[in-house]
Amino acid sequence: MSNVTVTPGRSAQTPLTPGRDDRDGRRQRRPRKPINTQFRTAVSPHQLNTTHGRIIYWIVLVIVVVSFTAAFVFPLYWMITGAMKSTEELNSIPPTFLPEHFSLDGYAQAWDLLELGRLLGNTALYAGGAWLLTLAFDVSAAYALSKLRPVLGKVVLALMLSTLMIPPLVIMLPAYLTVKDVPFFHWDLLNTPWAIWLPAAANGFNVFLLKRFFDSIPRELLEAAEIDGASPGRILWSVVMPISRPILGVVSILTVVNVWRDFVWPLLVLPDSDKMSISIGIASLSSQMPQNVLVASLVIASIPTIVVFFIFQRHIMAGLTAGSLKG
Amino acid sequence: MTTASIPVANRRRRQPTKLRRAVRRNLTAYGFLCGALICFAFFSWYPMVRQVILSFQKTNFVDAPEWVGLKNFRTVFSDPAFAPAWINTAMFTLLALLCGYVIPFITALILNELRHARAYLRFVVYLPVMLPPAVGVLLFQWFYNPDYGLFNQVLSFFHLPGLQWLNSTSTALISLVIVSTWMNMGSGTLIYLAALQTIPSELYEAAELDGAGLFKRIRHITIPQTKLILLVMLLLQIVATMQVFIEPYLLTGGGPENSTVTVVYLMYQYAFNFGSLNAGNALGLMLMLVLMVFSAIYLRISRDNTV
Amino acid sequence: MKPRKLSIVLAAGLALAAAGCGSGNDSGDAANKSAAPSANPNAPVSISVNCEPPKTNKAERATFEEDVAGFQKQYPNITVSKVTDAFPCYDPKTFEPKLASGELETVFYVNFPNVGRLIESGQAADISSYVTELKTYPDYNSSLDLFKKDGKVYGLPTDGYGMGLVYNKDVFTKAGLDPNNPPKTWAEVQAAAKKIAALGPGYVGYGEYSGGNTGGWHFTASLYGRGGSVISDDGKKAAFNTPEGKAVLQNLQQMRWTDNSMGSQLYIEWPALMKAMAGGKMGMMLGAPDVLISLRNDFGGKFENYAVTAQPEAKALLNGGAGYMINPKATPDQIRAGLKWIEYKFLTPGKGQLDYVRAKSQDLTVGQPYPDLYGADTASGKAVTDLRAANANIDAAQFAGWVEGSKGITPKPEPGPYAQEIYAILDTPMSAVLTRKDANVDQLLSDAEAKVNSMLASKS
Repeated sequence: MSNVTVTPGRSAQTPLTPGRDDRDGRRQRRPRKPINTQFRTAVSPHQLNTTHGRIIYWIVLVIVVVSFTAAFVFPLYWMITGAMKSTEELNSIPPTFLPEHFSLDGYAQAWDLLELGRLLGNTALYAGGAWLLTLAFDVSAAYALSKLRPVLGKVVLALMLSTLMIPPLVIMLPAYLTVKDVPFFHWDLLNTPWAIWLPAAANGFNVFLLKRFFDSIPRELLEAAEIDGASPGRILWSVVMPISRPILGVVSILTVVNVWRDFVWPLLVLPDSDKMSISIGIASLSSQMPQNVLVASLVIASIPTIVVFFIFQRHIMAGLTAGSLKG
Repeated sequence: MTTASIPVANRRRRQPTKLRRAVRRNLTAYGFLCGALICFAFFSWYPMVRQVILSFQKTNFVDAPEWVGLKNFRTVFSDPAFAPAWINTAMFTLLALLCGYVIPFITALILNELRHARAYLRFVVYLPVMLPPAVGVLLFQWFYNPDYGLFNQVLSFFHLPGLQWLNSTSTALISLVIVSTWMNMGSGTLIYLAALQTIPSELYEAAELDGAGLFKRIRHITIPQTKLILLVMLLLQIVATMQVFIEPYLLTGGGPENSTVTVVYLMYQYAFNFGSLNAGNALGLMLMLVLMVFSAIYLRISRDNTV
Repeated sequence: MKPRKLSIVLAAGLALAAAGCGSGNDSGDAANKSAAPSANPNAPVSISVNCEPPKTNKAERATFEEDVAGFQKQYPNITVSKVTDAFPCYDPKTFEPKLASGELETVFYVNFPNVGRLIESGQAADISSYVTELKTYPDYNSSLDLFKKDGKVYGLPTDGYGMGLVYNKDVFTKAGLDPNNPPKTWAEVQAAAKKIAALGPGYVGYGEYSGGNTGGWHFTASLYGRGGSVISDDGKKAAFNTPEGKAVLQNLQQMRWTDNSMGSQLYIEWPALMKAMAGGKMGMMLGAPDVLISLRNDFGGKFENYAVTAQPEAKALLNGGAGYMINPKATPDQIRAGLKWIEYKFLTPGKGQLDYVRAKSQDLTVGQPYPDLYGADTASGKAVTDLRAANANIDAAQFAGWVEGSKGITPKPEPGPYAQEIYAILDTPMSAVLTRKDANVDQLLSDAEAKVNSMLASKS
């Protein structure tokens, strides 16, 4: 592999060179479209575009695409079609890969029986509120800890991080008692969205991620704004927030997915069946329904998070890059 | 006003301003912090403290709680499932690191080299993370079924003997690790992938000019360049996998023969099935102390590497 | 400097928490101390109840709501202020938080395995001095025993049935067995299972639980049938390391490994085996008559294919079922009103759950031989049997084997307040014989015995 020497003329192919001219130039020389080497990675672009390299590349690509599809998409296919099978067909051996009868009854039944529409609406309300509140509280907290550096700031951060060490099940009961009767205020938050929103904002990992990102923002940028007479709030809103969009994307998806998937906590604080979130709705009734209806409801429940991820994929990837850069 | 008094006045004026500015800065900071502080105080810290208290008490939530010292700790300590639970948890964590840590990194390395179908691959690898855990569990119950599950059918296609998967003490734990890896590897892969894309290309080019082959380049450039994120993820994963619960709870019920009882599973049994919430809390406290040690290491590393 | 600051924060937190803990528990004491009936039985009182059927179960939900309205009409002084429909009705995850916060309903549902534990830990009200006011109370059969401790009564069963053997008639026919003549001995069960498993891949002769505490539960049921006991009469020692206990495990081990008639899938939670049974390829399982109804209503099974017969060679039957208890923080008036609700909804022949005319008109199943609450010779017992027979809309033959075969066999309650702990320990031998061909039954039993003994010793 390493015997391939760097030939002159290709040295112009640095990643900084605009890809288009480069590719056009090569296209004239070679009839086949070369593999795009705009991003330099561990594999050498020169090796990649030799005949040998191309063959290996395409073999690897096909293997990866096929195995990923098998590992991650096939299960989804199995679920979607599983919901169309009868209980007996679901248990048949060998399993059928196509349902005997194409029917959406399972889905319709799941939608009606569980009132999935209402459950989805509730969950969207919980996730949306938790998202707004988390952004508002955690962003400003992280900003204060990173840029305003108050007395005891490190202690506060350490205490926030310590919450990651406790299995949520352990503090569930005391947390529930707090929600039932908030100390000093004596509010009863049970069956209100606040019971989901407020605890969701107490997320040490989010604060940590945001703080690490803010730490990397050059001080000069903020100082310039400060000299212009901007207040800390103003700086946060018009300087910090715009350049933090990637990490905000990450925190957003984490928050939304967490609320969407959480199960034990909403079971406790939203006992009223009109207020249930989708994961409890399904879980609490799962032992009382035919398997195909259960599978159908699981499919329906998965769609919203998948759609959200699909739409924001680019932002999330950008956010992860930015977040991981800072470690 | 005498000339001599001017410096004094100056000094006096400067000091209060400095102090006042510090006070103002702190007030502003805590103003920004107060929302999060209230949430943390009410819904994390206060419950944590109460949890600690509960683990030294005996209470039925009807009569006044009674202080029992270390009795709850002795109860869980003398439980025959106590030692297996910790061993299983340690084994699970170790295996989960081998699978759930190495596989996403290798996956990310490969994905980073591919120039086609990138968005598709990124999307599908993250799919399981977004599905409700119940979906993964249902799926794998079917895959693992020794009589007609997909895995054994695939094995028999290659004329290999079928495995018992969840139904044998020797394979149950690793089967859970596979489920867990499948369900969670998406986030790790995406994070590594993102980290890989930040490695400056000059480094690779320089190494190539020095005659370093592919594997040498991975060893001497890719891994050192992502060392920090690898370390951070390692510790985060230890903390997360030591709290493993949902997989044994839904797939094996702790069996067969206690081979998949984990610490949090045992805690759940105490708190909810055995009606001894206090003992469950005591166990939770023990786990928390262990996790604290790992986190101390983590904090140390991340502090040493602060930008 | 830093550690000191931290400790101040922590100390403040501790003080706060201690204050919180102290104040949380005052409210209940007053009600608890005296159970003296109040002077005026018609004083206005308000109670909350749970276990309203979920929305997925439209017909039963409607009857429940009708009963809540009818009850309040009959007792104008009683208001049902809250009805909860969380499902499952008894959820161990939510029970204590609700009790601690005062959210627990006045009248709450509990399934048999948890009854002993709640009594032991003082989490149910003593209703001894009130139950005598109920008309049907004297007619109760021995299912009530589970709710008694030291001569006091802590709740009332509203649903009860002895264990049996559920089988799939369709599978029996396919295997050349007579569906109307199910096995009566364990040897016959074994032979039948072998034939069923021989039908082909996927067919399971006999299904059994082995994890998530269900293994220990079914071990107990099998052991009772063979005449054994799980714990000694004084509740201090394990009593299952006997020839009967050994027979249970050896029988399973033989079916699993010698006959290969149990499949190799483990079933670790209640719905798992039910789903397998509903799938139509499993021959037999231990189960009470309620399993048939559940297969029909909840798991999409073909009802007419299933039947239940008596547990083979049974000397005693594990009693399954559920009942209601009263919140320990309830006032005497609330206890009395709560018991009236239980009586109205569950215990009066021709009313509530025993209103078979209404059940029939709403297309709910009538004719299954449970709840089995009253002695066969009592007035209430006869009334229920007659009403049921008159309105039956399902084939009584599906249950006939169980009814006939179970007559006169002693029902036996769950093994004491630590049943769940014992079941968890007994999961180990159950899963061992079903996963290891060379499992040593003697060793497994003596290990489990030692574990149960030390667990019980630590409780006293």
